[in-house]
Amino acid sequence: MRRLSQPFPLLAAAVVLAAMQVGCASKPPADDPDAVSEYNQTNDPLEPTNRVFYAVNDGLDTVILRPLAVAYRYILPETVRSHTHNVLTNLSQPVTLFNDILQARSRRAGDSLMRLVVNSTVGVGGVFDVATGWGWPAHDSDAGMTLAMWGLPGGAYLFLPVLGPSSPRDATGFASDIALDPLTWVGNGEVVTALGWTRYSLTAIDTRAGLLDDLDKIKAQALDPYATIRSLYQQHRQSQIDDARSDDRTTVPAWFAQPRRP
Amino acid sequence: MLTRRILLLSASTILAVRGLPSSPARAQNLDQAAAFIAQTGTDIVTVVNGPGSVADKQKQLQAIIDRTVDVNEVARFCLGRFWRTASAEQQKEYQELFHRVLMINITGKIGEYQGVTIAVGRAQPREGGIVVASTVSRPGNPPSKVDWVVSTESGSPKIVDLIAEGTSLRLTQRSDYSAYLARNNNSVQVLIDALKQQASQPG
Repeated sequence: MRRLSQPFPLLAAAVVLAAMQVGCASKPPADDPDAVSEYNQTNDPLEPTNRVFYAVNDGLDTVILRPLAVAYRYILPETVRSHTHNVLTNLSQPVTLFNDILQARSRRAGDSLMRLVVNSTVGVGGVFDVATGWGWPAHDSDAGMTLAMWGLPGGAYLFLPVLGPSSPRDATGFASDIALDPLTWVGNGEVVTALGWTRYSLTAIDTRAGLLDDLDKIKAQALDPYATIRSLYQQHRQSQIDDARSDDRTTVPAWFAQPRRP
Repeated sequence: MLTRRILLLSASTILAVRGLPSSPARAQNLDQAAAFIAQTGTDIVTVVNGPGSVADKQKQLQAIIDRTVDVNEVARFCLGRFWRTASAEQQKEYQELFHRVLMINITGKIGEYQGVTIAVGRAQPREGGIVVASTVSRPGNPPSKVDWVVSTESGSPKIVDLIAEGTSLRLTQRSDYSAYLARNNNSVQVLIDALKQQASQPG
């Protein structure tokens, strides 16, 4: 596993550099303020390159990931899939917890801790999501959000090979999450490596299966799926960050007061 | 589920207490918007989960949308800055096509919404209208957070946007159109032709 964690940041860095060299979208002339404002809002100066990677990913998705996701959904009953999803979520719970702490969101961190403890024990290693019913619902938290809450600007939109929609901040976050994950550092040997890859593959298929209907709909209905996905991704990330910022959840037990953010 | 609703409630209470404008007229508007969405939600759920053929349901759902959504305003918003460059005929044709495509996209998947429930939360004022929070649940899917943006500008409340899990539908649609236009010489006519194509396909 330790060997695995290295290529990801390297890959991300290489992609960013390659993208910068290959091509940039031409900025509209300054005498067209509407076009300029749209250009700034879209925040996609690397669009020509991004579109190439989008096309590559879309091709890979069509021949590999989507069929796997369809098969996964076809072969396994819903209960098995939801238990698998629960196990994968529970495995990534420590990363969620660390990020809650790094974001100084103590109530969210409390919920994450309880989720990890309850679901790993009563929930039989995460197979059953008991914690949600007991008042500790799941929430999104990752290092990309942490960096955002620390004030790091998102940077330009990136469409990365394999990983999909991202930004310099989210790509850094992705690598940091792997580094933050205790499972990245536990044990070595072939079995551990195999288990690690199994987990990554299952996570990819589980995520893709969850997006099956939405992505099919986007591809069928959008005139420009690339732009639609870009907009959805940017809005969704912003809303996750806003949610984390404004989250003053009431908790049981009443975890200590948490600092409010502007 | 319960916790989530309490969470929504407490979040909106905190916001309300924290000095957002709360004149009686505005409060009345908020209540009106929340009641409007609650009623619309009930209507939708009744049709979707009710008896009748798919065609019947589609017709009923279409009637609800026509009654509660300001489709022309949404269409205008989605064209963005190109609305002004379009001729009057193009605007009219575009709005009609937008309406048809929207109906196909919404009612075409009516079977997928079977078993849906909508729990309406609190209303809050926001730039450009009132936002009514809700939680939409479908069997076999995690509950999702949907905000309804209601505008009262025309006198009666009308839906002008849906924000699903933080993503605004009309904003997403506008990026789709503007990217398509940018790749087609900013020609509104090309967009209209593409919409014609979409409108002629069965949902």
